[in-house]
Amino acid sequence: MKRLLGILVWVAVAALGAVALATIAWHRGEPINATWFVLAAACSYLVAYRLYSAFISAKLLALDNTRATPAERRDDGRDFVPTNKWVLFGHHFAAIAGPGPLVGPTLAAQFGYLPGTLWLIAGAAFAGCVQDFVILFCSIRRDGKTLGEMAKDEVSKRGGFIAQLAVLAIMIILLGVVALVIVNALKSSPWATFTLAMTIPIALLLGVYLRYLRPGRVIEASVIGVALVMFVVVAGQWVADSPAWASKFTLGGVTLAFLLIAYGFAASALPVWLLLAPRDYLSAFIKAGAIFSLAAGILLVRPQVLMPPLTRFVDGNGPVFAGKIFPFCFITIACGAISGFHSLISSGTTPKMIQREGHARFIGYGAMLLESFVGVMAMVAACAMTPGVYFAINSPATIVGATPEAAAATISSWGYPLTAETMTGLAHAVGEQTLLNRAGGAPSLAVGMAQIFSNTIGGERLLSIWYHFAIMFEALFILTVLDAGTRVGRFMVQELLGRVWKPIGRMNWYPAIVLSSGLIVAMWGYFLYQGVVDPLGGINSLWPLFGISNQLLAAVALVVATSILLKMGKLKWIWVTLVPMAWLVVITMTASYQKIFSANPRIGFLSYANALGAQIAAGEIPAAKIGEMQRVMFNQRLDAVVTAVLAVMFLVLLVEAVVDWHAILARGKAAVLHETPYVATQWAEGD
Amino acid sequence: MKTRIEKGRWKMGFVGATMRLWQGLREWSGDAAYETYVRCAMKRRAAHVLSREEFYVEQLQRKYSRVSRCC
Repeated sequence: MKRLLGILVWVAVAALGAVALATIAWHRGEPINATWFVLAAACSYLVAYRLYSAFISAKLLALDNTRATPAERRDDGRDFVPTNKWVLFGHHFAAIAGPGPLVGPTLAAQFGYLPGTLWLIAGAAFAGCVQDFVILFCSIRRDGKTLGEMAKDEVSKRGGFIAQLAVLAIMIILLGVVALVIVNALKSSPWATFTLAMTIPIALLLGVYLRYLRPGRVIEASVIGVALVMFVVVAGQWVADSPAWASKFTLGGVTLAFLLIAYGFAASALPVWLLLAPRDYLSAFIKAGAIFSLAAGILLVRPQVLMPPLTRFVDGNGPVFAGKIFPFCFITIACGAISGFHSLISSGTTPKMIQREGHARFIGYGAMLLESFVGVMAMVAACAMTPGVYFAINSPATIVGATPEAAAATISSWGYPLTAETMTGLAHAVGEQTLLNRAGGAPSLAVGMAQIFSNTIGGERLLSIWYHFAIMFEALFILTVLDAGTRVGRFMVQELLGRVWKPIGRMNWYPAIVLSSGLIVAMWGYFLYQGVVDPLGGINSLWPLFGISNQLLAAVALVVATSILLKMGKLKWIWVTLVPMAWLVVITMTASYQKIFSANPRIGFLSYANALGAQIAAGEIPAAKIGEMQRVMFNQRLDAVVTAVLAVMFLVLLVEAVVDWHAILARGKAAVLHETPYVATQWAEGD
Repeated sequence: MKTRIEKGRWKMGFVGATMRLWQGLREWSGDAAYETYVRCAMKRRAAHVLSREEFYVEQLQRKYSRVSRCC
């Protein structure tokens, strides 16, 4: 009877999910309520977790709760710490959830709500969650080894080196892109700039508090920090209203870029307890609070989604970024559906803290479902605003014009009605000088979030506070990625250079710290600078580059996972990782090819460089601008080379893996697994 | 009488759940990391146990030398 009831409940959940999905897929004409998105996502996730992850646990991985995990065998109270599964779920989710699932879906909304939403749900269930779960399992069975170490052991030595290089390359591109998102959010905004700038002294204060006054008392320090941050969000309005102070915090893109580069250098070179760690604590609490508030706000307000299911920009001529749905919707969504970076967390801290193998399903598969849900909420927030406003905020001036009147005329001519008064009124309501040409996703997401929050608490009166709270929340945790990433990048640079000259590899030698910190910020700083000066807005070039590199890393992780499963004798179920891997190969290689060779200058790096060259040769560029345009040409060619190098690196790894698979399957090569030997758990079942 | 016992049980259950939630929050945030370390060191009868300050700095050095935050 109980079993029958269980089946009926799951059939009802599946039916409700199917109805919700069908509704958002076939709805045309009138706006659709956001509740359908929440229902479609939640029911699909529940069914995927109940059925697909259970199938993977039982058939593919055969999770074994009698086997001691690294946390049990090597418990040292530091790295290897057996941790309650709910706490570890929170840890893992806080580590994997970054700006990607917020920014990616916001940008992909230019195709309409449908393609992005469907990929967020399906991509997570069949690719992203699978990658996180399987890599976590593989790492648990190898004493918490990293992806690079597993690639070296299970694919080839060269594979391990390629994975290490790929991680560094992706890190550099990622840091450049997320820094560009912050620059575009803070540009000409004294309120937002002041608020974010003030988080630095707040973090320093907390750093001293946690180091000398109350060592390690993270919660009380974070409560103080959050209160101070809330105060500076409100105080930002006073700064913006004061002509003298506002002028000091009204900064252009290039100035902000150099300030961020200086900040990244300081965060990497200063002691970790002083700036980086306290900011991370602050960010973790604010991130968790803001994400739950957004979910609660959407459920309470149930906004209407005004964006159509498909826009005219499915043809590839979108103003936010150029390129057709295939492959650019998938490349743009990136982290909300599948993120290669997650494999570094799944093979980093988490496998060293897991109590039981069985928990890997809940933590690996479940946390990624939650991240995907964050992506769906970002999509709802972006699509709940008028499409005309969305395009005005996210399009560069070279496409829609730099004035409200020009933008309104251009965007209205596309069939998305917009008036200049709407844009000036909205900018005024959120306390900004302008909201035009703020590509990067952060400002439009902040407008969407502020509208949802202000409909819940405070109404129009608090719209500007909510907007700047949302900007601060996005910028704060992007800065956390920036400083933590710069520091890890510095370690990678030191490790690589240490192979050439040993003293550089010494992690506590100050000249080496300064040199390697300088190198890593110079590398991502270069990408940031080229994005800031790019006439097409930077995001058009750099976000796809980030998406391609991120998805290539996911493909690397799935190649490693497939190799391991094959060696485990799971040929019958190998499609579970092989199919998403093949899909990623197709979309990344297509996107790489188009980004390098497309004849459309808005898509192809080389054709854009050539078009600029032709304009210079024809005398169409004013003499004063020729130097700047030549730099843009160089940057485009550099981006083409970077894309090609990443693609070739991945193909080398793939070919090595395929040769190995062929040797095992066709030539009877012995499949040697590098698992740690079985040790029975000493814990009782309920522990 | 029975109602009072039920009320008492409910109260204890609520207090227990709140305590577990608080402990979970402390573990999630890293607030309880030093206590976990000391417990482990005692169990292993470690010759030298780090002070709270030493442990805090050492733990941060380790945490931020590898990928700890994602995109």
